[in-house]
Amino acid sequence: MNKDFTQVGRSVPRKDGPIKVKGEAIYTGDMVLPRMAYGKIKRSPYAHAIIKKIDYSKALEMPGVLAVVTGDEAPNKWGIVPQTANEVALAVGKVRFYNEGVAAVAAIDEETAEAALDLIEVEYEPLPVLTDPFESMKRANEVRIHEDAPENILHSGDQLFGDPDKAFAECTYILEREFSTSYVNHAFLEPHTSLASYDTQSGQLQLWSSTQVPHYLHTQLSIVLEMPMSKIRVTVPAVGGGFGGKGEASSSDFCAALLSRKIGRPVRIVFERSEVFATNKGRHPCHMKVKIGLDKDGYIQAVDFDNTMDGGAYAGWGIVVMFYTASMIHLPYKVPNARANVRRVYTNKPTCGAMRGLGGVQPRFAMECMLDEMAEMIGISPYELKMKNAVESGYRSVSNLHVPHTEYKKCLQTAAERSGYLEKHGKLPFGKGIGLAGGYYISGTAYTLYQSYKPHTTVLLRVDTEGGATLHCAAADIGQGCNTVMAQMAAEALGIRYEDVHVISGDTELGTFDLGSFASRLTYASGVAIKEAAKQINDKLFEVAAGMVGCRADQLEVKDCRFFSKFEPKKTIEWAKVVDVYTNSVGTLTGLGHFSPPRLKGIDLTRGKRVQGANIGHSPTFGFSCQIWEVDVDLETGKIRVDKVTEAGDCGQAVNPMSVDGQVEGSILFAMGQALYEEMKVAPDGKIINASLHDYKVPTAMELPEIDTTIVDSYDPTAPFGVKESGEGPVQPTIPAITNAIYDAIGVRFTDLPITPEKVLKALKEKREKEKSEGK
Amino acid sequence: MYLNNFEYFAPKTPGEALDLVGRMGNKAKVLAGGTDLIIMMKEKMIQPEYLIDINNVKEFKGISYEPGKGAVIGAATKISELEYSPVIRDKYFALHQAAGELGSVQVRTMATIGGNSCHASPAAETPTPLVAFGAKVVISSVSGDRELPLEEFILGNRKNALGEGELLTQFILPEPAPKSASRYWYIGLRDAMEIDAVNMAVNIVLENDGRTVKELTLVMGSVSPRPLVSVEVPGILVGKEFNSELVEKAAQAAAGEAKPISDIRASAEYRREVTAVLARRLLQAAFDAAREV
Amino acid sequence: MKQLIELTINNRVYEVPVSPKDLLADVIRDKVRLTGTKKGCGQGDCGACTVLIDGEPVLSCLTLAIACQEKKIDTIEGLVAEDGQLHPIQQAYVDHGAVQCGFCTPGMILTSKALLDRNPKPSEEEIKRGISGNICRCTGYKKIVEAIFAAGETISTAGVK
Repeated sequence: MNKDFTQVGRSVPRKDGPIKVKGEAIYTGDMVLPRMAYGKIKRSPYAHAIIKKIDYSKALEMPGVLAVVTGDEAPNKWGIVPQTANEVALAVGKVRFYNEGVAAVAAIDEETAEAALDLIEVEYEPLPVLTDPFESMKRANEVRIHEDAPENILHSGDQLFGDPDKAFAECTYILEREFSTSYVNHAFLEPHTSLASYDTQSGQLQLWSSTQVPHYLHTQLSIVLEMPMSKIRVTVPAVGGGFGGKGEASSSDFCAALLSRKIGRPVRIVFERSEVFATNKGRHPCHMKVKIGLDKDGYIQAVDFDNTMDGGAYAGWGIVVMFYTASMIHLPYKVPNARANVRRVYTNKPTCGAMRGLGGVQPRFAMECMLDEMAEMIGISPYELKMKNAVESGYRSVSNLHVPHTEYKKCLQTAAERSGYLEKHGKLPFGKGIGLAGGYYISGTAYTLYQSYKPHTTVLLRVDTEGGATLHCAAADIGQGCNTVMAQMAAEALGIRYEDVHVISGDTELGTFDLGSFASRLTYASGVAIKEAAKQINDKLFEVAAGMVGCRADQLEVKDCRFFSKFEPKKTIEWAKVVDVYTNSVGTLTGLGHFSPPRLKGIDLTRGKRVQGANIGHSPTFGFSCQIWEVDVDLETGKIRVDKVTEAGDCGQAVNPMSVDGQVEGSILFAMGQALYEEMKVAPDGKIINASLHDYKVPTAMELPEIDTTIVDSYDPTAPFGVKESGEGPVQPTIPAITNAIYDAIGVRFTDLPITPEKVLKALKEKREKEKSEGK
Repeated sequence: MYLNNFEYFAPKTPGEALDLVGRMGNKAKVLAGGTDLIIMMKEKMIQPEYLIDINNVKEFKGISYEPGKGAVIGAATKISELEYSPVIRDKYFALHQAAGELGSVQVRTMATIGGNSCHASPAAETPTPLVAFGAKVVISSVSGDRELPLEEFILGNRKNALGEGELLTQFILPEPAPKSASRYWYIGLRDAMEIDAVNMAVNIVLENDGRTVKELTLVMGSVSPRPLVSVEVPGILVGKEFNSELVEKAAQAAAGEAKPISDIRASAEYRREVTAVLARRLLQAAFDAAREV
Repeated sequence: MKQLIELTINNRVYEVPVSPKDLLADVIRDKVRLTGTKKGCGQGDCGACTVLIDGEPVLSCLTLAIACQEKKIDTIEGLVAEDGQLHPIQQAYVDHGAVQCGFCTPGMILTSKALLDRNPKPSEEEIKRGISGNICRCTGYKKIVEAIFAAGETISTAGVK
């Protein structure tokens, strides 16, 4: 870490803390505009059916109903990935998942809108429902979900790096295992909410939305509504969590906008919790076959990764997630030869998409558990095996991922020491166990979802006597705290205090361009842009300050709201006075900074060949972490109690350590839910049977174990302020660390999720029977 | 998720309440805590024309205890009041435990003991210990009161013995026998906000020797449409000196009696297995506690 | 069908027209326009709509507004002192980083208040149990537990209510 920082590295309370604890933060659903109408969406009772007819005449006759829209009125396809855009605002001709929207109503109040839904008559011709990806591929000739996907596959990819077959032939230890992960939802607390206001006179639309991606939402609205982006303004009020689930447009956005344009009044749509589950975009269930080969000394020689992903009804983020899973096998260990065969399959279920730690969580589960098992094969500690193979700063993977800086080994070491892993592992009484896993995640990302060289983030810093320092950026604070972190970095760069920086974000008109809050990109990306913008401001203020104190500008430094001469500290002047003098003669001072990520090609380094999809995971740097979980298994009921979690993370220089801890602790419980409790359950007819927070079980405070987190000393010299991500990396090790701990406790290796008490009990029984038959 | 239109009544006296219940019959629903009723109305499972809110009738609320006679609990008594009541904790510990495990703090503040039994969910928490205590319910109507063992009041999943015009008004709990103790626990995925996969209550009475089981009731929840009173467990343990062999036999017997179903929360097989575990643990815990009395 | 009722919210009496079927959460948000009370599920499962009625935490999404006449209702907006100072619990949430997206925060703080009013020095286990009906998906609860613990200390030392 950099000891010279005064604003970066401070655990300051977040900017929006006070208004949030007072209940004064405004979320989209809290807004009411004059003449505002209320929208509701009519949903399909079939998971797969032809829409034969929609008759909404009776709904229109109902007093208070203002308008109805159907899919035919806005048939343009949208999608977060333009190459695979296949979603529509409301179903056109066919529904592909249970509760897909078929029509939307606007009425004078929400109750009327809800009642009007019953008056919309829809005639369906049901089609066979495919809920399993393997069945979907098998029956593709007979049942086709999308006309342009004859095999019911969105996309498949094959990547080859080096020569895995040759490498495996020379390996001393080879392990092959199959893993599957469950169908989970983000369960953010604020349901999707959109408020659209279309002005019939100017043709201007403003949409307030609970979104992570104002920019992408902006582009999709432009496509669906056939309006230029310059006529649309997207504004992000406070957002009640996203975790990837608000990382693409929501049908609430389109329906509110379409209805508002139709009636010339503002329209607000707030989803019910059941609609959040119905529209999903949660984590992909993955069915993975993994083969890992080690040489006689335990060094990884090859990884073979096969992944069949259950994508649900539409494309969404699918292709990105798919290639990410392939990319994720190349780190945080050195893998000289690798092959990935991946496919993302359509089923008649709510679409899967981006969810915290996208693409990493599933392969991490498989690989970290397998390395645990392979350590046992060799007869060494999993810690030793992982340390031996861990990447180091400057490493370049065979897929051309470049790691400029890592403290991964320090993470492993710190967590092991603080938990007493080496003393405990393999030595605890039956029923108690300790498990270790590592992980990493991209930071900054290097890829736009459309081919463009446009900078990913632009920051405008404005300095004057009126506003002090104001940072403009259309980034979205979805609760992760980017407004606070951006203010800290801006303050650091300008030499002033965090408290004095104003942040204007979450608005495509007031803020300068930003791609959005996803892929753990924002701290890094905005950091680069902020540094550049601040430099322009400092250059000008230094000149003025130099004149005021009587030295040369290049002799000045700015810190703690003062300019001072490096050589004659007595020559000093307050920052605000310099700003005053500057603006009084020249006027408002601005600085503009951009971030354009490095463009690495996905190349097989051993052959020099470009590999399809391999550049998608490229990133300017990476965050790393290690988690060690200690569990206590009730051998009679199968219930798993987590006693302690020890985490150590490399997030580079922590901008706000308290906020980093919050991200880590949040990640730990988030992923613990997927490991032990959470699963959307789908009936054969495609209906989600637990689409409520009653039966979809996220961790409560009672599930909170003792958590010990350490931010390891780290500074990435290639990164702005030395920073890296901390919001998605920490979810990576959780599931395998728990799974490895359970193995240490009861000698059973679980390969599917969630690991429920029922599965534990069944496995224990099978183990006992097996041991009995083997005469143990 | 809007409720249907209904007419709302908030009687202040038992007479008014019974009169309303009598006059409106099946077109009315009684609003106690609302934590089940309002959800059912939101989901349009029921659309009553009248709602009779009994929360303002103070005679329907509260816990009274008379040494030697037992406790009388008003049907509209909040679960949280049971949870915090010293009498319930001292005399009817299993009910104290069940009350503390029902839903969340908020749900316990709202929900009532009467509602929990009237709703008659197989997974309900409080009926299990109440049946184990041999609780009777008082069913009132304009024409008078009748008493019924709670066991006979709950007829099945969301079915109770209330006739048209009748209202559940009280629970009567007999005085616990000397040298007795009770315990309750449940099996669920999380440690809060759970719908139990299985719950169970044991009420045990020992002879003066502190070893021989004099009387025993074991009641299972969530493994049958209604609270299931074990017939076999008392047969195995009553009159015998408590020992782990008998406990094991009793636990297996309880599991054998359970009639669980498979649903999204757990399979029948798992429920049966953990029924035995709960029985073993609770029999032991209740026995240990009774020895201390 | 609508009738005018009086609701006492944060010590102020509001006259509001309600139908018997109107839920307290909707009345507070849409009619009284105190939008600090949040709706996360509408089914009593998330706790975001928690308000205090006569000091006890209830789920306003499952409570009929008409049934709340003559009761003392407290929402998050009523916690700030007359002079604008944050309540010690609010201050502790800010200082301890117990707020991220903030959507669970109002309900969580009110549940915390009910807990501390009953027991200003709760154990960690009692805090966890006390807030287990309030789902937070961001923080992992750790900083919330720490904030409640710290607020309890402040309240019992300073005697603030």
